[in-house]
Amino acid sequence: MADSALKASIFQRLHPRAYLERFVAESVRPDGRPFDAWRDVSVNVGSISTANGSALVRLGETTIVCGVKAEIAEPELDAPDQGFLVPNIDLPALCSPKFKPGPPSDEAQVLSDRLNEVLSSYQHITSENGLTTCSRTASSPLQMLKTPVSFSFGVFDATLLADPTAFEEPLLDTTISVVVDENGDLVSVVQLGPGVDTGAADTLSTCISSAKTRRVVLGGQIP
Amino acid sequence: MALDRRRINGPEESFPPIFDSDALQWKVGDARKDRSPADIRPIFLQPGLISQANGSAYIETAKTKIACAVYGPRQSKNTAYSEMGRLNVEVKFTPFSCIRRRAPMRDAEDRSIAVAIHQALVSSVRLELLPKSTIDIFVTIIESDGLDGCVASGSVAASTALADAGIELLGLVTSCAASVVGKEIWLDPTEEEGRLSKGTLVLSCMPALKKVTSVWQTGEMKVAEALGCMDACQEKCTEIHSVVAQALLESAKI
Repeated sequence: MADSALKASIFQRLHPRAYLERFVAESVRPDGRPFDAWRDVSVNVGSISTANGSALVRLGETTIVCGVKAEIAEPELDAPDQGFLVPNIDLPALCSPKFKPGPPSDEAQVLSDRLNEVLSSYQHITSENGLTTCSRTASSPLQMLKTPVSFSFGVFDATLLADPTAFEEPLLDTTISVVVDENGDLVSVVQLGPGVDTGAADTLSTCISSAKTRRVVLGGQIP
Repeated sequence: MALDRRRINGPEESFPPIFDSDALQWKVGDARKDRSPADIRPIFLQPGLISQANGSAYIETAKTKIACAVYGPRQSKNTAYSEMGRLNVEVKFTPFSCIRRRAPMRDAEDRSIAVAIHQALVSSVRLELLPKSTIDIFVTIIESDGLDGCVASGSVAASTALADAGIELLGLVTSCAASVVGKEIWLDPTEEEGRLSKGTLVLSCMPALKKVTSVWQTGEMKVAEALGCMDACQEKCTEIHSVVAQALLESAKI
């Protein structure tokens, strides 16, 4: 490694805040993006044969694998025509030095709960209509009423950053996540931290309109 | 069973669908489908995919998909002083990795695989150079097609990840599984073939030093068959060694 690159990476480890501040002062982020730019997204569907449905999504250096397993169960007595949707997010120790092995961390529990909220309480997936088909050859996908997509934002020193990375995230004063469906309708908005004045318009509305624009761009990638 | 409040829970009982056509398609004595007895599944190996880890590797052998990350050497916490470093292996199955859904923390299968991978690797790592330290190896099985194949591929991925992390090794560990099916020895058995076999053997070795690091045999087989399996595995391990070396070389060039 070149001497200057080594110095920069040591500075980044020791003074992450000052490191990011100097980038922000130059109107650029450590990975070379402008403040409002998003990381590249790639979607790959159906690569896992043991799952009934699967997707592999890459967002910058983040990789998420999701598998769906379908099983047969007796419905609840008070909802005889409905099945169960059980989403869980796992943050294995494999993916970052921040995560420890063992039962789900607080962070994983909160994320699972938010995912569950988006998927279930808004009735995005049509409930079972009494017919369960079991077939090796024909597959009948679950009917999704809506395809919600989530977008994250962060505020650092009164600067709004779109799609913050793992390095930027712990330094943020406020994080905002906006979930938008394919019609551009809001599904969920979560803001953690104080509302900060980032200049021009109201921060939250800026985030929402930016998420809607990005949802249209990503539309083509979602099968 | 007590409700696990840390996860989102489904119904208490649920069952995978059973299909009428689920009977085994071929019986003992039939020739092997798709490949010859001495063939292994093609290996795709990519070191360094996990940017946050000190070293990592992803391995794919046909349907088997395994990701592995190495963190460390880092300070051992909450342990007494030790001259030697510690090698810690954790294996995790994703819930969708097998034909039956794997509920979290239901069995000890992942621990027995972790022990097998630990055994395969521990004699190759120069732990005497790392006092007071721990090397954590995390293996996630994304899709499994035969447990013995998972042990073998997991060991290869873990050794590649250790090399990618720049940890001093005596040699790269490669590993191969073999099953006795009828009178033949089939290398690298799939899940379906594993069910047909009488016994299975997984051999891990350091081909560069011509040394065996671990032999893991289950089921019944004659001594001559066990020796035959070991010979066949060792031969394949040498071939796998060049695949691993090539993958590491290519990732180092970038």
